[in-house]
Amino acid sequence: MRRRLLTGVLGGTLAVAVTAGCGIPDRSEVQIEQRGPAAETNLSLGRGTEPPTREAAGSDAEAFVRNFLAAAAGEPDRAYERVKRFITTTDRAGLQEKQGSEVALSVVRLTDDPVIEPDVDSMKVTITVQQVGLLRANGLLAPPLTTESRYEFRLVSAGPAGEDEAGFYVSSPPNVLLLSDDALRRYYQSKSIYFWSSDRSRLVPDQRYLSSVVPAERRVSEVVRWLTAGPSDWLRVGVSGLPDRTEMINNATGSDGRWEVNLDMPGVDEQRLEQLSTQLAWSLPELDGTLEIKILNQSRKVVDLGEQRRLNQLYEIDPNTRRYCVYEGAIHSLAVANEPAGLVPVAAEVNRDIVTAGLRRAGEEVLAALVVTGEDGRQRLAVGRGRSVVESLLRSSTTHAAIGRPAWIGTDGGRPAGLVVADGSLYRFDDQASMRQVPLGLPGRVSAVAAALDGQRVALVVDGALYVAAINWEAGVPAVGPARRLVTSLTNVTAVEWWAENRLLVAGAVGRPSIYDVSVDGALETPLREDTGSQVNHLAAYPTTQLSPLAGSFMYEANGVAYRLNPFERINRDQVQDVTPPPAGARPGDPTAPIFLY
Amino acid sequence: MARLLAGLHQTWRRSLQVRVVTITLVTSSLLVGGFAYLIADKITSILLENAKTDVQLRLLNGAEYAAKQFSLYGQPQEAQLQETIDGTVNYLAGGDPQQNSGVVVALTAENWPGVIEPRTSPAANVRPLISPELRAAVAGGNVANQIRTGRLTGDVERKYLVYGSPVPTRFGQVELYYFVPLTLQDTTAAQARATVVATGVALVLLLGLLAALVTRLVVIPVRVAARTAQRLSAGLLDQRMAVNGEDDLALLAASFNQMATNLQRQILRLEEMSRLQRRFTSDVSHELRTPLTTVRMAADLIFAERDGFDPAVARSAELLQAELDRFEELLTDLLEISRFDAGFAVLDAEPTDLVPVVHRVVDRLSGLAERVGVAIELDVPATPVIAEIDPRRVERVLRNLVGNAVEHGEGRPVWITLGMDETAVALTVRDHGVGLKPGEEKLVFNRFWRADPSRARQTGGTGLGLSISLEDARLHGGWLEAWGAPGQGAQFRLTLPARAGDRLTTSPLRLVPADATLPFGGAPAGGLLAIGPGPNGTLAVGPAAPPPRAEVGS
Repeated sequence: MRRRLLTGVLGGTLAVAVTAGCGIPDRSEVQIEQRGPAAETNLSLGRGTEPPTREAAGSDAEAFVRNFLAAAAGEPDRAYERVKRFITTTDRAGLQEKQGSEVALSVVRLTDDPVIEPDVDSMKVTITVQQVGLLRANGLLAPPLTTESRYEFRLVSAGPAGEDEAGFYVSSPPNVLLLSDDALRRYYQSKSIYFWSSDRSRLVPDQRYLSSVVPAERRVSEVVRWLTAGPSDWLRVGVSGLPDRTEMINNATGSDGRWEVNLDMPGVDEQRLEQLSTQLAWSLPELDGTLEIKILNQSRKVVDLGEQRRLNQLYEIDPNTRRYCVYEGAIHSLAVANEPAGLVPVAAEVNRDIVTAGLRRAGEEVLAALVVTGEDGRQRLAVGRGRSVVESLLRSSTTHAAIGRPAWIGTDGGRPAGLVVADGSLYRFDDQASMRQVPLGLPGRVSAVAAALDGQRVALVVDGALYVAAINWEAGVPAVGPARRLVTSLTNVTAVEWWAENRLLVAGAVGRPSIYDVSVDGALETPLREDTGSQVNHLAAYPTTQLSPLAGSFMYEANGVAYRLNPFERINRDQVQDVTPPPAGARPGDPTAPIFLY
Repeated sequence: MARLLAGLHQTWRRSLQVRVVTITLVTSSLLVGGFAYLIADKITSILLENAKTDVQLRLLNGAEYAAKQFSLYGQPQEAQLQETIDGTVNYLAGGDPQQNSGVVVALTAENWPGVIEPRTSPAANVRPLISPELRAAVAGGNVANQIRTGRLTGDVERKYLVYGSPVPTRFGQVELYYFVPLTLQDTTAAQARATVVATGVALVLLLGLLAALVTRLVVIPVRVAARTAQRLSAGLLDQRMAVNGEDDLALLAASFNQMATNLQRQILRLEEMSRLQRRFTSDVSHELRTPLTTVRMAADLIFAERDGFDPAVARSAELLQAELDRFEELLTDLLEISRFDAGFAVLDAEPTDLVPVVHRVVDRLSGLAERVGVAIELDVPATPVIAEIDPRRVERVLRNLVGNAVEHGEGRPVWITLGMDETAVALTVRDHGVGLKPGEEKLVFNRFWRADPSRARQTGGTGLGLSISLEDARLHGGWLEAWGAPGQGAQFRLTLPARAGDRLTTSPLRLVPADATLPFGGAPAGGLLAIGPGPNGTLAVGPAAPPPRAEVGS
């Protein structure tokens, strides 16, 4: 018994000692291992212009109003906060806040200067505007939802009565975040991001606005977020976004030319990665270093952005473009300034009865779509292709009273196709010159069509209004998707031409016939020629995509006379090459329908 | 309790096996316990170290990642910073809370309260688990860790390894914490511990069992030997041990057996010799009696006719008569002694009053006393002193003692005292003669012993009287003791049990007389200190010496 007792006691002691002695403690002392990484505060981030503060305008009421219309610019999360600083404390609650991605700024274009009328103890401000669009949190300018054209609010002095130095407050503000197009231009950068077309054959640019306060380090993240969020609505029919549920994991990070993007991208494969690399390389044109693409934390691809861009050109475009015009029913080359004159791409035997022409190079070939006048005075489309010179033409079976300038789309790969306006309707044609009407879903007369260089977007003029639409290729046949109407200052638009990735050359009237440079969403516009004298019915531009001596050049025809910019100059008959001088006494004709071949 | 302790103590003292097993258990427990502690401790610390290394790696990677993420922001107020913090925490926690085995990741910004909301993934209140010391250490720019217990996810309290690291940003520092549950490590450590403890206990028990077995192997033959030795000593001389095998224990048993055989042989031989001697004495005494009787008759005749002889011859006849008396006496004593030696002496006890016995003896010796001028003084109780005794033997003892006292009294009085209590009766005889030298108290009872061998016998003592008296007292189960000091005389005390067969414990009378002058260092019976004359007439105090007592056991 004694032995058993003893054993029990010893065993118990042993167990207790071991159990109590060497388990993981409930709580231990703080163990300091090493110095952690130290904070580095040396780098100051390059920040763009901040929107003005309330006090910036001082006692200038009109400047204050303009600043108020710029207050929402910047990062969308704090837009309400910034705007509320302009508003009297009592009225701040009246501005209903939206959260996160719901935040949208109403971009308006002031059609007149603000009307400021002094009142008893405040000033009444009336602004008349044109609703341009809705700038969403993701940098996308969506079509406007309202048509409101007047906003009224009051200004109260921030200081004691009679003293204006303290500036103003806005009282009874409109219940939206207003952003003037000036502010959009000043505090945002227009950026192009690229999506693959539906057939994944080419990149299609899409426009976004990046607040200039976003530091350079975060721009990569922003661009990748835009890409994962998908294209603009009007582009959706023609392009494909990244796979569904693609998301960026946290931020893209990096510095010194090394960047890193971590994505959650279902169904990714090597081809998709390669395409994504190209997409990123072009969407981040200012970056030249390397970009490491990680999929779910796994490093999958390291892209040299510059190299990627070099290997995957956006467009095949001939930098040695040449100018041509129609002179006395035939295409002639133009010699402007010191530019060399080109070879006429249409053989002499078919180079007659031409009204207007659409010419494009497709690889080694030249595509020519010519509008020719028949003996009956009716016009038909003649299409031909050939190496440097088109020898023969196929004529369309139908005739029309008037056919506009043809526009080639889809010139690379597959059968070339084009769009043309005939008798107020949009037609497509192919290299066999067969014309088929394209349903637009818009009532009204189509008067002009222009195709973007990527061949996936077109600009249309319908009933004097400007539209853009995406092209959806179905089995090699182009269909035009839902059109988006652009709000511009121009009325009665007569001609349109793409002259940059996201910029249109538009001829219309702002009081008098003018030519404007309009962004593809209509928000930004720049007058290029404010008085053309008479209505412009023909525009031709050389697309600004890369460095070229002709970048930014365009030509137009108004009242049967051709002009060119820049510099502005009337194109004279003597600049037309290979013409026989007219018989003496006969009034020489003017060159018309100027055109670039690229 | 006390009984249990006493029992334990007794067991401890008595059982070699218990001692060996206990010592084995205690030492092996200490040793195994120590080792078990070391092993379990090592296992735990290895588990913990591994966990720490893992978490540290994760933490540092996480901090690096977070630093990269936050490097995009220059100010804590920036809009997307909070989103990035959320995203970073979720990313570091691995997204799905079901699959990250309870790890909680938290980002706090001690320097920006209210500006930057702390975030955890999965959502949990981590505040209580970050101790102020840890917070201070991490806020001070250190990577630090601590083990805390608390509840983060789920309903149970768990141990967490809390690991914190600063995350540098452009606007200062935020802190990244990992909370990694140590459940697995805890379980593993507990299992390891249980295994170690079980092994240890089993080992200790095994050792104890082994010790018990081994001791048992040794102890059992030893016990057998002890028992055998006990039996041998009890007289069972033919007891032997069983001899098994050829080991040390077998050797012991064999040697033991040999020793027993030798002893038995010796004892038997001595017994035989002793028996022969006693027989011889008895036989010689008997054989001498017959011729002595004849000689006696002749001597009596001569003595009766001595008047008619020449005075010189008459004197010889008287001498012959006297010496024959002595010879007869001697022969009688020898026979008595040989009867005792042969074990033929039988006690014929009956309740007897001792007072008349004393008087009878004194009366019988009064003649002798008067002749040598010694007064015999009696101190006898008035009431009868009844005891179960053999009156013949007691009277012989008394006669012997009083005769000796008168003979050695040197003319000084002899005192006889009788005393009794419930269990015993005692009788002392005190003389004031030359006394006994130290050591002689025991010698006086030896056969034929003389204080001064050169001294001629004045009286007819045979030298066997006291020996016979001692045998008589022993036969009663009583004591016969002597005290004496040089110059102070001697005192003899006879103590007998009041009832025959009872065991004596005390005597009613003191052995050392009250009037005795204490010698140096001596002490009266019952006293502890003695005061006596020292050298040069001073008093000396010394420890009480044990009283000279010849103890006679029954």
